[in-house]
Order: sequence, then C-alpha cells, then structure tokens
Amino acid sequence: MVDFFLGLLPHLLNGVALGLLFALLSLGFMLIIGVMEVINLAHGSLFALGAYFAVMLMGQDGGLPFAFMQAYYDLPAIPRYIIALIVAPALVAVVGMGLEICLRRTYGKDPLYGLLLTFGAALVLEEIIREIWGPAEYFLPLPKAIRGGFFFGDMIYSNYRIFAAVFAMAMIGLLWAFLNRTPYGAVIKAGAHDSEMVRVLGYNLSRLRLFVFAFGAALAAIAGIVMAPIWGVRPHVGVDAVIPAFVVIVLGGVGSFWGAVSAGLLVGMVVALTAAFLTEWSLLSMYLLLLVVVTFRSRGFAGKASALKA
Amino acid sequence: MALFEAQHLHKRFADQVVLEDITLAFEENQISGIMGPNGAGKTTCFNVLTGRYKPDRGQVRFDGRDITGLPPRKIARHGIARSFQMMNLFDEYTALENIVLALPEVRAKGFSMTHDLAGDDGAQERGAAVLARIGLAGREHTPASDLSYGQRRALEIGIALAAEPRMLFLDEPTSGLGSDATATLAALIQEIRKSVTIVIIEHDMKFLFDLADRIAVIHWGQVIAQGTPDTLRDNEWVRASNLGALA
Amino acid sequence: MDPQGIKNWFTAPMLVSFLVFGTMPFWIEAIGLYQYLGLEVMIWVIFALAVNLLLGYTGLPSFGHGAFLGIGAYAFGLTQFNVAANLWISLLGAVAVTAVLGGLVAAFISHRRGIYFALMTIACAQIFFFIASKWTDVTGGEDGLLNIARLPIDLGLAEISIKSNFNLYYLCFAAYVIIVAGMWRLVHSPFGKVISAIKQNDSRVAFLGYNVWLYKWLIFTLSCAVSGLAGALFAMAQEGAYINIMSLQWSGIVILIVLIGGGFISFWGPVLGVIFYFLARDILGAYTEAWLLWFGLTFMVMVMFKPEGLAGIWQDGQAMFGRRKAAVEPCPEPNHAGGD
Repeated sequence: MVDFFLGLLPHLLNGVALGLLFALLSLGFMLIIGVMEVINLAHGSLFALGAYFAVMLMGQDGGLPFAFMQAYYDLPAIPRYIIALIVAPALVAVVGMGLEICLRRTYGKDPLYGLLLTFGAALVLEEIIREIWGPAEYFLPLPKAIRGGFFFGDMIYSNYRIFAAVFAMAMIGLLWAFLNRTPYGAVIKAGAHDSEMVRVLGYNLSRLRLFVFAFGAALAAIAGIVMAPIWGVRPHVGVDAVIPAFVVIVLGGVGSFWGAVSAGLLVGMVVALTAAFLTEWSLLSMYLLLLVVVTFRSRGFAGKASALKA
Repeated sequence: MALFEAQHLHKRFADQVVLEDITLAFEENQISGIMGPNGAGKTTCFNVLTGRYKPDRGQVRFDGRDITGLPPRKIARHGIARSFQMMNLFDEYTALENIVLALPEVRAKGFSMTHDLAGDDGAQERGAAVLARIGLAGREHTPASDLSYGQRRALEIGIALAAEPRMLFLDEPTSGLGSDATATLAALIQEIRKSVTIVIIEHDMKFLFDLADRIAVIHWGQVIAQGTPDTLRDNEWVRASNLGALA
Repeated sequence: MDPQGIKNWFTAPMLVSFLVFGTMPFWIEAIGLYQYLGLEVMIWVIFALAVNLLLGYTGLPSFGHGAFLGIGAYAFGLTQFNVAANLWISLLGAVAVTAVLGGLVAAFISHRRGIYFALMTIACAQIFFFIASKWTDVTGGEDGLLNIARLPIDLGLAEISIKSNFNLYYLCFAAYVIIVAGMWRLVHSPFGKVISAIKQNDSRVAFLGYNVWLYKWLIFTLSCAVSGLAGALFAMAQEGAYINIMSLQWSGIVILIVLIGGGFISFWGPVLGVIFYFLARDILGAYTEAWLLWFGLTFMVMVMFKPEGLAGIWQDGQAMFGRRKAAVEPCPEPNHAGGD
C-alpha cells in the first residue's frame, strides 16, 4: 500500500506541474473573457505559437537558417532559454493584438460572431504553423540544468517537472501581485467588472482591451513554452490546450483568481493520473472531463454570465 | 376559489431573501395589479408565478391544480401566457410569423416537418385576426425589428394573446411608452379583459389604478397591502410615495 | 400531385440547381475540371446543408460535425463488410448508426447553447476521433478502413453499377435532390419555424409552450443522420473510410464553407460555399500550398465585414441593380435582419 502511494508521487508531481500550467493558461483566458466578454477559441493556438517561437529561438532543428542568427545560436543554452521565455511571449502578444483588432468588429454583436472569428483564427494560426514549421513534431531543447532526473526512494523524478511547477507558481504569484498591487491591475479588474467603469475612471477602453488581449496571449505563450517539453510541439496542440482552459474556467468560475488556480490543479491531477495508468488515453480524459463538468456544473459562470451564455 | 393562487412563496438568491411568504390570489375575469418600488421583488415574484424560477418554498395553484416549479413550457400549456418587460420578439420574423408561432394549433403541429406553414390559410387568418385586435392590421409582413417601439410592445402582448390563454401576465407593459401609446395600450387591455384574466406588474400607478380591480403592493419581498384601488389610496406606502394622488 | 403541391416542394432556384448539377458530368471536363471533383462537391453540399440546419437555422455552433461524416463512412464500410453487401442496407446502416450516436451526443448537449454547445461538440468529436484512431480492430486505426466497395444500385429487377465516378455521381445527385427538397420543406414547416425561433430567442419559445430541448435534440440528430449519409457516399467515393475526415480541421472547414457561402441568410449559402471552396482548392491550390490559410483568412474577413457571406453579396448586388428581391429570390430564408 505504501509502495503504491510512493509510486504515485511522481505522477502527483506531474499533476501539480500540469495543473499550474493550466492555471496560468486559464488566467489569461479569463482576463480576456472578463474585459472583452469574448471566449477566445484561438487561445490554444497562441499557446502553441509560443512554443514554436521558443523552438525557433532555441535553435537546433527549429532554428532560423539565417547567417546572422548563428552568433545568437552560439550562445550558451541558459541565456538562450531566458531570451526565449521573454521574446516568444512578446511576439505572441503582438499576434494577440492583431487578433483583438479583428475582434473589434464583433463587439456588441451576437457572441456567436466572436466565437466564429476566434474559431477561424485558431484554424488560420494552425495553418500558419503548418506552413512555417510543417506537420512534424518538434522538441524544445532545454538547458542542462533543468534536464534529467533524480532518484528519491525507488522512483525517478523529472527535474524539468519540478522546474515547470516552480516557474508556473512564480508566474502565478507575479500575476497576482500585478493584478492586486499595481494601479494597472486595478484598472484591469475594474474593466473585468464593468467596462463602463473604465471610461468613467478616464481610461481608454480600446487601449485597455488591446493590452489585456496581448497580456492574455503572452500568458498563454508562457504556458505553451513551459509545457512544450511535456506535451511536445505539434500544430494541433492548440486544441488540446483550449479545452483544459475552458474546463478550468467552468470549474473555478469567471473572475475568481484562486478558483482558477485550484481548478487548474484539479484538472492537472486528473490528466496526470490518467496518463500514469492509461497513457494512450490521457488527452482524452480532458474531453471527458469537459463533458462531465459542463453537464453537471455550469453555474461557475455566475460572475460574467453574458459572454458565456452566448 | 380564485383562478390563480400563490401561497407562502419564498425565494432566495445566494444569501439574499427576495421573496418572503408571499400569498396572492387572482380572481377569474379580473385585472389584478402588482406594484411596488424597484428592487421590491415584483419581477422575481412574477418569474416565480410564471415558471421561470422555482420557489424555495410555497405553492402555486392554477384552476385548482398545483403548478409549482413546472417548467415554462408546461405552465404555458396550462393556459398561462406572459409578456416580457425586456422585449422578447422574434426579430427576424414578420409580425404575422411572430403571432402564428404562438397559436396553439401551430404548436400542436410543431413536430411536422412537411406541413407548409405559410400556405396554411387557417393559421394565417387567425394570426392576422390577432394582429388586427392589437391594432397592427396592415403590418403583417413587416419584420418585427422594423416596427415602432409602441407597435413592438403591442406585438409582445399579441404573442401572449395568440396562445389563447386563460390567464395573461403582463410584465411592465407601459415601460418606455409615451402617454399616447400608454392610453392606446390601456384601451387594448380593456378590450382583451373580456376574454382573459389579467395580472399586470407596473410602476406606472395611474395606469394600474385606472385598470385594475385589485392591487397588491410588494415591498421588501412581502405583500404589504392589497385591496381595490379605492382602499389602497389611503395606504401609507402609496401615500408616502406621493403617487396615490395621481390615481 | 396538383400544381400547387408541386410548387410547394420545388422552387425556381432549386430547379436551376438541379439543372446545373444534373448536367454537370457532361460539361465538367470541358471546362478543364474532372469527374471526381463533381462527386466531392455533391457530397460536401449534402454535408454542408446538414451543418447549416444547426448553424444557420437553429443558431447552434456544432464545431465537431466532421466526426459524424466520419462515423457515417465507417458505418457504411462496416455494414457492408459484416452485415450485407447491399447498397441500400449499407446506406441505412450508415444513417442509422450516425443518427443513434448523434442522438446520444445531442442528449448531452441539447440543454446548452453558444459557447458551451460549441465546446461540447468539440469534446464529443475529439472523443470519437480518439476512439476511431485507437480501436484498430474495427476502424483500421491510422490506416483507415480500406477497400470499401461501390456497391451496385439494386433495383430488384436490374442492377446499375456505380463503379465509375460518372455513375456514382448520379447516385449522389439523387441523394442531393431528395435532401434539398426535403430540407426546403422542413425549413418552411412548423418545425422549421420553431427551430429558427429558438435561434432568435429560445426562452420565448419555451414560454410559448414548446419543448425547446426536444426540438434541439431532434434537429441535431437529424443533422447527424444526413451527415452520416454524406459520409457513406464519401466512403464510396474514396473507396475507404479514413480517420482524417473526423479531425477538427475538417469540422472547422465545413463551418468556414457554410459561413462564407452565407448560411446565415440563405438556404443556398452552403451550396455556394462548397462550390467556392472546391474551386478555390483547385485554382488557388495550383499556385500555393498555403491556400487553406487564405481560405481561413477569407473566412475571418467575412465574419468581420460580411457575415451574410456570398449569398449576402449576391443580394447586395441584386439590390444595386435595382431588381426586386422577389423576382429571382435567392431564398432569403431565414430572413435575417442584418448582422446583429
């Protein structure tokens, strides 16, 4: 019995890492729902795009074939990885801004149009990825320091999972501080509560929306980069990412920061434990979870009903 | 026994009590009114009576049958129709199509996938008759979204009326109407009361005092007074809100 | 049938479409295209019409409908292999299996709309996709179900071979004639008016005494059954059933097709969309591998600026030339009053 639980430990660690990454992804998704009342079906594609940009910035098979990049690719892995973690989300944020500008045409209309537009954007982004990087799977090269594993008891633990969990936790902490301890965070929260309030407070609503979308996209990209070594980097990974984000939001409730984090952990655990025992079917567990969750619970959305009733 | 009775209704949302021990009775062939300040629980009360919300406790009876907590479609099939304060029309449909869909005969054929509805002269004629009754003759083929505000209000009532209900609930029918349109509406309600029992929620007290046979005043989720308009004129709350004078 | 009765079943644009599609095999090669393309167009038109029953008429975004096309294809092959190698029985098997599975999915999602509905259709489609790809014994997994035969049309006294694309095309065309006439009838029936009312305002429909859930369940199941028929025809066209048509990409493409064609405002939107899609594939595809990307971008531009699609542009064009809409009537059904 004790052996069984000890054997479970590495999987639980995986669950925590996955769960925190899902939470990070979902918090970006939630900010966009809050301020724009748009369900961004392309959120998973932004997640995937982040991973691909990181592959590009890490070099090796995914690198750019330009001579001037060679000096950069000769840098040690750690600075390259840090650069990837900063530059890739920034690039994705720019893509997110483009998407937000497209979405402006749908504000105030039937939410179906926002849904269709982001659905189309998801397909387009996936097609762009196929064009640039092809259908093959990539692996994100990692610095030595966060590769490999160590033994604890009889079980092998992955260093990277620990790094992923700690990194995601730090990002969530920073995000919380940003939203609750800075004036920018206060404006975003005001916008999520009531977009009229932003105007009353004298801020430019269009600019806020642009910024929040870019910010949400960057969070998706960060989650995508950190998830890349765990899930692999494939063109359609975007769909697999948007589903847990949605499940987390349904479970945690729109507008609840810690609700999203705890729901993320729960979803991460479910996926990790299925992966442990039914490896082939681990991604399927998310889809089943979505069916169960939406069938039995949908009042999590009390805060912002309008965007989700659609 | 009254046609429609609500006994000891309670309703809370989260930790807020919205209705507390509401008991109401609406007599057949009368116009009954419900009034009260905003946030007093009148709309919630209305929604509980017409099946949109289920009460936490209490009973709703119609024509001797218990209809508590039935879904809206079942309540509608018992012969209870309602209009909405926020207009709830089928904007892509013409005025006539809006009405025709509400006719019980069309509802009975609802699962027919081959019957040609536009060529169903009986249904079209009966729909046109309802439109004529609410003053929209000649507007049959105008899309609902192109009607004027007052016409949309009338159509809202027409849809409820087309269902040939025994009991008609009107939710703030004058909201947004000017004084001429309100007078037209009052005439319409006077006309339709001949065939249907009516309950109106209204904030326009003059309108209600002129039309209603009995009025219940709801405040803080409770019925604080009820009676005929004449007896209510002396009511404390009605006088305090300085609107009784209008009536 | 009296003349009035015939008029209720067939309209001028419908007869034009019968004329164009009915003669297509005789001129398609003359304009530099090929017979198989005609087959694909016919099958996808049936599929797109089925999807538009949900998206355009009932306002239900089914983003995973490709799964039902795939289920129809597999069911057709499996019936043919395991039950009877007879065209009618296999077609019936395909439609019945798809309807049952569609009805099952519909039972889970018919109390939903909008985003919940969309994501639950995606989830169900992914589940079917996973099952089809892992259940190798039945579906052939990643290799697909091979050697599905184009069974002869059994007319009792005679049999007609549909081994050639030309003959198979006419089987598909016959299915198209039946589906189009039936659907046109359906959308003008009380049932059709109720589902379209559900799209506009579902709570009001409930307050009129209609069982909204049951209507949604029925239309979803029906749409799946028709998709299953399209899938069966597709299995014969491809002589196999393959996992890729169940992927979300294909589910997405059919949504793109329906909207670009103008499914929101016109019965004929899906037909226009399919023609546009296959012409774009063959013409644009000759120049660029990334044509699907351009197609997706076209979709985004349409959602932003002209959600009424090609049918909407056609109507605008007619209005510009000052012709009365009713004269040719590109069937503005359901009459959509603008984009919002």
